Amino acid sequence: MTDLLNQPSNSQFKFSREKILAFTLILPSLILVFITYLYPAIFTFVISFAEYDIIRLKIKKFIQFKNFEFLISNYFFTSSVLRTIYFGFLICVCTTIFSFLIALLLNEKFIGKAFLRVMIVLPWAVPSVVSGVLWGQMFHADTGFLNALLYQLGVISGYKIWLADPLVALHVIAIAEIWKAIPFMTLFFLSGLQSLPSEVFEAAAVDGANVFQRFSNILFPLMLPIAIPLFLIQFVLAMKSFDTIFVLTRGGPGGGTTTLNYFIYQEAFETFNLGRASAAAYVLLIITLAVVLIPTISRFLIKFFWGNK
Amino acid sequence: MKKNLILKNFFIYFSALIVFLIMFFPLYGLILTSIQPENIIRSRNLSFFPTEIIFTHFAEVLKPNHISNIYEGIKNSLIVSFLTSFLCIILAFPAAYSLARLNLPAKNIILGTLISIYFLPTILFVIPLFVILVSYQLDDTILSLVVPYTAFTLPFVIWILKSFIDKLPVEVEEAAKIDGCSTLQLLIHIIFPLLRPGLIAAFIFAFILSWVEFLTPLIFTNNLKISTVALGLFRSTIDIKIGQQAAAAIITLIPVTILMIFFQQYITKVVLSGSDK
Repeated sequence: MTDLLNQPSNSQFKFSREKILAFTLILPSLILVFITYLYPAIFTFVISFAEYDIIRLKIKKFIQFKNFEFLISNYFFTSSVLRTIYFGFLICVCTTIFSFLIALLLNEKFIGKAFLRVMIVLPWAVPSVVSGVLWGQMFHADTGFLNALLYQLGVISGYKIWLADPLVALHVIAIAEIWKAIPFMTLFFLSGLQSLPSEVFEAAAVDGANVFQRFSNILFPLMLPIAIPLFLIQFVLAMKSFDTIFVLTRGGPGGGTTTLNYFIYQEAFETFNLGRASAAAYVLLIITLAVVLIPTISRFLIKFFWGNK
Repeated sequence: MKKNLILKNFFIYFSALIVFLIMFFPLYGLILTSIQPENIIRSRNLSFFPTEIIFTHFAEVLKPNHISNIYEGIKNSLIVSFLTSFLCIILAFPAAYSLARLNLPAKNIILGTLISIYFLPTILFVIPLFVILVSYQLDDTILSLVVPYTAFTLPFVIWILKSFIDKLPVEVEEAAKIDGCSTLQLLIHIIFPLLRPGLIAAFIFAFILSWVEFLTPLIFTNNLKISTVALGLFRSTIDIKIGQQAAAAIITLIPVTILMIFFQQYITKVVLSGSDK
């Protein structure tokens, strides 16, 4: 009887002790994360409403929404926002499609599969600076492979300066980013494919469904819950991309490859206008958060449309 | 039926070849450029096989006075990456255990916040960190790289370790607890050895991410003595010698590639363990 009475208080005591222990174990990590994320985020928020004195390292004066007003009326800013969205969208659409196809391939059995998998994972380990240098050399006007190849095939009559055209340069950077992004997404797709029940496909094949029917009616809906988060993560990562742009074009020519992230870098560390840069960083954050919030909505939609089947 | 199978096989090998070419050719081009003399690189006679192999570009790049300072860069990057990975593991191991096994309130919120932080724009945090570092005169130090790297990588490492701990059998821990093992002893003597594959995977992740980091050293360091290998490589692009630039790129690439090939299985395991929930 006494045992039964003591039981609750004893477990209560254990419960709180375990809580304290759990917190102690995670506390160092949380402190570091708070120092390097939360405090800076607040700091950036505050100075986005101010003019910041970079030499004396303090706030000169608060100017309310002037920074934001300046940005919205600035052509370079608005065009870089649109460019970032296009750039992010292009990268994640292409990466998703290619990764999915490669994952389908790696899901088959063939000789040399392990080798091919290593080769496909490799670009992920390539530092983005190296990939910048690599694609820079590929598209180099005098020594690039692309010019030489196209010239010898007779596609172009003379050597082209690829990176001099803003639109071409933007797509060259997108190619570099896609090449680097494919490995990671492929691995995720592959693990998704391997977790699918093979019986469903066999049953469908027995029932006489052809390849396209099997794809659109079984594979596509089954893979969608994996594909949507990957797609959005890739979007967010593409908006963050900086290194490749910095190495290949430095935002040029004529600002044609300046994404929002690069715009912020230029404002902060080239013209040292920290207030404006912070305001722009918050715009980037809002776009990112909007993208991150989409999975919750889409998951709801998927449940709504496919969940009841 | 048999004809169909041959056709399918042909299609598989054909697409495998195409994928291989697309993914590998850029790297091959880089290797080719790094081992050929400058005049062959610049000539208009394209050849996809090396006609003359030299290693002078590598020798030039590794000289102490070279513009890219790769030699110093490798040393610094090794120090910074090792410190970062080490720090990450020390911080993340107890945190991951706490998240995986202990009764931590708001567990999912904490984990979710940590993971989503990784996807937020880095530049948002870099601006104030720069101001802090400059005002305490901590810029241009190893510390100014290790601390932000650790913070940027930590959420990822915690997630990796947590997914590995989740897979460990609980029975071992329960048995140890009944035998009177304290949580600290449990962590050091039982979980730590069991978790070795996870720790190696996490260490490699942290190492690779710190090795390739570019924005942080670009902003936080000016001194050539603290320059990391990625920064050194960027500096070599100012120079017009394409061969040396390629050689510098290869040198930057080698350590992470070796890690990647040897430990590819661990990394695949991480990805697989994350998605089957």
